[in-house]
This record gives sequence, C-alpha cells and structure tokens, in this order.
Amino acid sequence: MHRLLPLLPAVPLLGAALLVAGGRRLPRPVAETFGCLVAAVTAALAGLLLLHSTPPQAAWVGGWFPKGGESVGIVLVGDGASLGMVTLVSLLTLAALAYSWHYFDEPPRGHTGSFPALLLLFQGGMCGFALAGDLFNAFVFFELMSVVAYALTGYRIDEAKAVQGALGFALVNSLGAYFMLMGIALLYARTGELGMAKIGQGLDAAAAGRGPDALTLAGFVLFLTGLLVKAAAVPFQFWLPDAHAVAPTPVCMLLSGVMVELGVYGVWRVYGLVFSGPGGIPAADATRALVTLGVLTAAVGAVMCWYQRHIKRLLAFSTIAHTGLFLVGVGVLKAQADEGTALYVLAHAGVKAALFACAGMLLDRYGSVDEFSLHGRARELRGVGIMFGVGALALAGLPPFGTGLGKAVSEEAVGGPLTALYIAASALTGAAVLRVAARVFLGLGPRPGEPRDEEREEDETSGSGEEPETRQRLDRIPATMRSVPAVLLVAALAVGAVPGFAHAVGERVDESGAWGVFSAVHWTAAGILLDLLSTALAVAVAGLAVARPRLLAAPGWALPLRRLQSGHVGDYVAWLLVGVALLGALALPGVLG
Amino acid sequence: MSRRARLWLVLLGGSGLAALLVAACLRLPAFGGARHPYGDRAVAAALARRTANTIASVNFDQRAFDTMGEMSILFAAVLGCVVLLRQARDEHRDPPRPAEVAAPVRRYALSTLPVALVTGLYVIAHGQLSPGGGFQGGVVAATALHLMYLGADYAALERVRPVEAYEIADALSAAAYLVLGFAGVLAGTAFLANTLLPLGTFNTLSSGGTVPLLNAAIGMEVACAVVVLLARFLDQAVEIVEENVRENGKNGDNGTNGMDGKNGENGENGE
Repeated sequence: MHRLLPLLPAVPLLGAALLVAGGRRLPRPVAETFGCLVAAVTAALAGLLLLHSTPPQAAWVGGWFPKGGESVGIVLVGDGASLGMVTLVSLLTLAALAYSWHYFDEPPRGHTGSFPALLLLFQGGMCGFALAGDLFNAFVFFELMSVVAYALTGYRIDEAKAVQGALGFALVNSLGAYFMLMGIALLYARTGELGMAKIGQGLDAAAAGRGPDALTLAGFVLFLTGLLVKAAAVPFQFWLPDAHAVAPTPVCMLLSGVMVELGVYGVWRVYGLVFSGPGGIPAADATRALVTLGVLTAAVGAVMCWYQRHIKRLLAFSTIAHTGLFLVGVGVLKAQADEGTALYVLAHAGVKAALFACAGMLLDRYGSVDEFSLHGRARELRGVGIMFGVGALALAGLPPFGTGLGKAVSEEAVGGPLTALYIAASALTGAAVLRVAARVFLGLGPRPGEPRDEEREEDETSGSGEEPETRQRLDRIPATMRSVPAVLLVAALAVGAVPGFAHAVGERVDESGAWGVFSAVHWTAAGILLDLLSTALAVAVAGLAVARPRLLAAPGWALPLRRLQSGHVGDYVAWLLVGVALLGALALPGVLG
Repeated sequence: MSRRARLWLVLLGGSGLAALLVAACLRLPAFGGARHPYGDRAVAAALARRTANTIASVNFDQRAFDTMGEMSILFAAVLGCVVLLRQARDEHRDPPRPAEVAAPVRRYALSTLPVALVTGLYVIAHGQLSPGGGFQGGVVAATALHLMYLGADYAALERVRPVEAYEIADALSAAAYLVLGFAGVLAGTAFLANTLLPLGTFNTLSSGGTVPLLNAAIGMEVACAVVVLLARFLDQAVEIVEENVRENGKNGDNGTNGMDGKNGENGENGE
C-alpha cells in the first residue's frame, strides 16, 4: 500500500494539468465535475491508505530504498497524522469545489477550467507538504501551496483590494519561505542530510553530548519562521486578515480550514523528527517559544476578532485565535495535547469552513459582509442563519461538537492557567460570531449607528459595498451552496459525537508522534462543564453586546492594537524580523546552558 | 505605524537576526572539507544508473519527486499569471501597431534567433550528459523566440507564438512528467522509479533510463511556461489598455516599441 503514497499529491496535480490542457474546450459543468471527481478520488485514496496506516509506513519515492541506512532518495511519511491531514485537505477541497459549483464568478474567457485547476494544484501542494518526510521536499510543496494560494487570493482582479491583499500575502509568506530555505541550508551544512529523521540523528551525533549550538538554534528559528508565518502566529499574523477579507469564499474555506493549520502541523512534525533529540532544541526551550507565541496569538486573535464588523475579517481573526490554541497544544509536547489538538483541528476545519460558506452567501445575496449595514436584513435566510448560529456555538466549544471535545482534551493536557486561555479565546471568538448572527439574521438589538470619529479609519474595512462573487446577486441561495456548510457542520459534530472516532484519531496521532501513548480520549465531566462554561460565556457576552452595544464598544486600549493591522507591507515585514529575533531569544537559554 | 517606528522595529529585529546568522555561520563546517556524505552517495548512484551528469541524476532520478513539485510550482505560477493578468472588466484590447526596427538590430536579431533556438534545444537534449538540462535549455529556447519581437515587431512575435498552443503544450508536458511517474507504479515498482527503460550505454544520448524523458518533459514545460508567462506580461504592456486611458486620446497605448525606448516619442506623435 505504501507504494501509493506519492500518488496523493500526484493525482490532483495530474488532474489540474489535464484540466488546463482541455479546459478551454470543455463546457463549464464538465470541467467542474472533473475537478470534483479528482478531489474525491484523492480523498478516497487517502482514506484507504489511512485505514492501512497502522503501523506507520514510509515510502521511498522512485524506489530509492536506503542501503546500509543511507539513501539518496526522498522519503514520504504515511502515518495517521499525515494521512489524516491529507484526507482533511482532500475533503475540504471537495467541499470548496462543490460550494463554487456553477454559481461562482464567470471563469476567465477561454480558461473555463482554471479555477478548479488552481484548487486542485492547491490540494496537491498541501497533500505533498503533509506527507513530506524530507526537509527540502517539504519546502518544495510548501512553496507550491503558497504560490497557488497567492493566485487564488487575488483571483478577483477587478477589485484593487484583492490584488493588494494577495500582494501582502505573497511578500510576507515568500520572506518566510526564504528564511525556511536558509534554515534548511544550515542544517544540511551541519549534517549532510535532507531526510528529517536523518537530520535529527546527524544533529545528535554532531552535538555528541554537548547539546545544541548556535547553528542548531538558527536552523530551528529560521525553519520555524516559515512555518509560523504560514500558521499566522503573532507577530507573523498580519497577512492573514487582509488576505481572507479579499479571497473568494471557497478559497477562504481552504485557507482558514486547513492551510493555516498545516503550518502548525509542520511545526509538530519538524520538532518531533528533527529537533527533539539531545542535539536538538531542549524541550523546555521549545515549549517556552511555542507556548509564548501561542498565547500571544490566541489573545491578539480573540481581541481583534471581537472588534471587527467585516464578517470575513472577523472569521479570519477567529482563525488566528484558534491557531494560537493549536500552537499551545503542540507546544506543550504531550501526547494528550497532541490528540486534543488533532481533534480540535479536524472539527475547527469543518466549523470554520461552514461559517465562511455562510458569510459568502451573505456576500452573494446582499453585496455586503458588514455586520452593521446588514442589521436585520438576512431574516429571510432562516436556514443560513441557523447554520451560522450553530457554527458560532460550535466555535465556542458546545458539546458534543468535535471542537468541544478537542478543546476539553487539550485543556486537560495543558492544565493550569492555560486552561483559562482556551476558555477565554473560544468564548470570545464564539461570542463575536454569535453577535453577528443575532444582529444580521435576527435583527436583534438597536441598529448600530454611525461610528464615532476615532473609529472612522476602520470604515475601509467595514465590508459594505463589496462585489458579490457570483455573476449577479443571488435572489435565492442555490441548494449546493446551502448543503455544503450543513454537511461540514454535521462532520464537525461527528468528530465529537461518533463513538470510537476520537479514540481512533488519538491512537493514530500517538503512533505518529514522539511523546509516547496516552491512554484514551473521551468526554469527561470536567471537560463537558468547561465546554458549557465557554459556551455560556459566549452567549452571555454576545447577548450583552447586542442589547447594550455601548457597554462593550472598543475601549481606548484596543485601538493601538487595531492600528497595527495597517495594511502597510513594510510594517508586516518589520514585525516579521522582530518575530525571528523573538523566536531566537525565546529558545536561546537552551543553547547558552 | 510611523516611518520612525518601523525603522526602529527593523533595526531591532534585523540586529537580532544578524546576530543569530553570524553566530550560526561561525559554526559552519570549514570550506573545502573532505566530508560530503550526500555528494558521495549521489555520484555513486548516478554512475550506477549510467547517468553522466550527476546533477541530472539528482534532478530527474534520485530526487525526481522534488522536481515534480518544482515543475508544479512553475505550472501553478503560470496558471496564476494567466488568471491574474486576464483582461479586467474596465480594459480592452488594442491591436499592436507595426513598428520600424533599425536594420542592424533586425539583421542581428533574426540571424541570432535560429542559433539561440538550437542552442536551447541542444542544452535540453544533452541534459543527462553535460551541464544544463531541461530547466536551463527551456529558458534559452523560450527567450530565443522573443528575438522576433526585437527584430520585427509584436505582431510578428504573435505569429510565431500562438499562446493558446503553448498553454496546452505547457499543461501536456506537465502531465507527461506525472504520467511517467504513474507508469512506475503501474509497472509494479515505485512512483517515478527509473526502472522502465534500459539504462543504455554510459555517456550517450540515450543513457540513463527515464532521465532523458523526464528531462525532455521539463524542457518543454519550462519553454512553454516562459513563453506564456512573457506573453501575459507583454500583453499587459502592449495590447491591453484601460478604458479611461483610451478615452484620453490615443497616446500612451502604443507600446509596440517599448523595448527600444521609443514609447514616449510615439505617445507624443500620436496626438
């Protein structure tokens, strides 16, 4: 079976090439059906391989099996974690293709197949990155998914904002990728190897009991910078809201649902395989670096999320908040936290993609994603409103959604004050989405008035007066568009509610990870209570905000934080440099000691 | 953020990064050492597969999977450009006007064109034997075609370069690389395995098994990709015009001679 692993990225890439070759002659439905078919075949193949992933498998591409422990070839890792990510990527791509079915923007003249082809290339890049067991190969697929993501973000070229958002995204992420490549070069210079596991052994051998030195630290910091830019960790996060605000909705589903999480997955994979040995970065230092950045990310994301009125930006900031939580979960380096994070990522992908899908319907129906100007206008979209509300509660961690289970398991693993962070971040992001649901779909509370003077500057990001992504404004929402978020929410529910599923996920993740085995994942009374607490908090805060808007209006201290999100790429690059230095400083004690 | 604040941030972060890099570079292995674990293995593996150019063996055999990713990056970048540089709603196309080219330039460009094209194809074809290969040769071949633009004008270039055909060829050659990969699986070995063809005689054109085929696919993909890429950018510069520019008068939309610096003059003459 392991021989089929390289097909997971290759099938969508071939599909994309064929779509481009034949795309100009094909009628649109045929091109879209073909795209869906390719994504579905990849998903099925990934699922099949996932069932056979115990014990974890490795595939040597081109049959370059190691001789005497040495190989010149590229190794792919086929364990539960990587195949799980590939399955998630493929299913979410299928959802995005189904969502854009027939209604999404007019294709460029003579290039009918280009949008599904780009989505397939995106899928191929993400699959390849998830499977990579070789540092350089990981970089190649990292770049592939980045390049496609830039193009997809700027897809709606008729709007200047789209091009600007894509440009900022491209600049910051490319810079991150260059740092990543420098890190690979340093590690290669030290060890003469490119396979992750072999580099890890090489670092251990070179350190020979003396522990890591400056070169190891630089390799760690530079490689992680690339991944953390992708994961939108503070202070690398600025590109994400700008890109999400302008990217087409099906693309947002993929960006927020799985691409950002792949950055966290990369950190987990690379730390476990390369840096967890005695010659790598000591656990205490890795934890300090990752948890500090994770806490900052969750806090900044949650606060910024609360103060948005542009619904897609709001959802983008909630993604940042949750990525912060994932980073904390990965950073504590415990099997139980890994399991919780895996479940959280799976369910979050479904919930967040569903919420973006609902926001996209608002955009296509009303030409606006502004919470204020849409006040009460979407009462007629009852089904969409229910899905949006359910998604908000799931985001806050309502049992038995998978988000709730993942959050509960993670909370138990991290313990202490970090539990409060999980509750606060999920409650605040859930509350922000609930507030939108109450105002837009129910018309509750007073209609928000004109902003005060100090808030004028955010008018540009209010989200009103946007172009719909369909050929014309939709009078009624088509069934394909409505069914996608429904299916995604049911899937997120299933992650937490289907008996045995969470246990199976946990087992696979433990097998793939480096921290041994945790007994079993299940709902506990404490976990359910904490989930209910965060959900209740979300409902209360949202209710208060809707009933008494003045009470929770942006205080003065939040304004500088919002001003940092300036849209100026130079600022973002400056923060990126600060982030590299910060990451280095956080991991430095292990090298000095 | 003010300029000043940004500068301070860059100084702060940049000095941290610089300190990290300097400390790391001091720990790098000394220059000219004898220990090259990967290089030694790669050369041995290349010779075992009778591929004279070790780089080609690394690119198209040992790490052919990386090359598949790199090819896909180029393919995706071209597709992205085609999509992003499409004609926007407020733009229209103006046919390029014929241009006068100085006789020496014309003679030089048109006589160099076939030489450059053959050089490009040679570099592709001998990728498995000598330095070069599909990536480099493809770029040479693609740029050779553009001598037509220098020697004649944009309309002449468009005649030798039907973009749609190149777009299809780009996609088909990418597909060919992937299909060669799948063939390995179907033949029962591994994806992109170099076991389909006889290895041939060392240092001849047909040596190296599937290496020449993968190399040729890359050469074609790169050549077509560069042609399409340049075509999209040239289209933006020469043919595609924003509506409001056109209304202002017919100046400024004439970029046919953009390469030889006559653009400004033409703009004035247009009035």
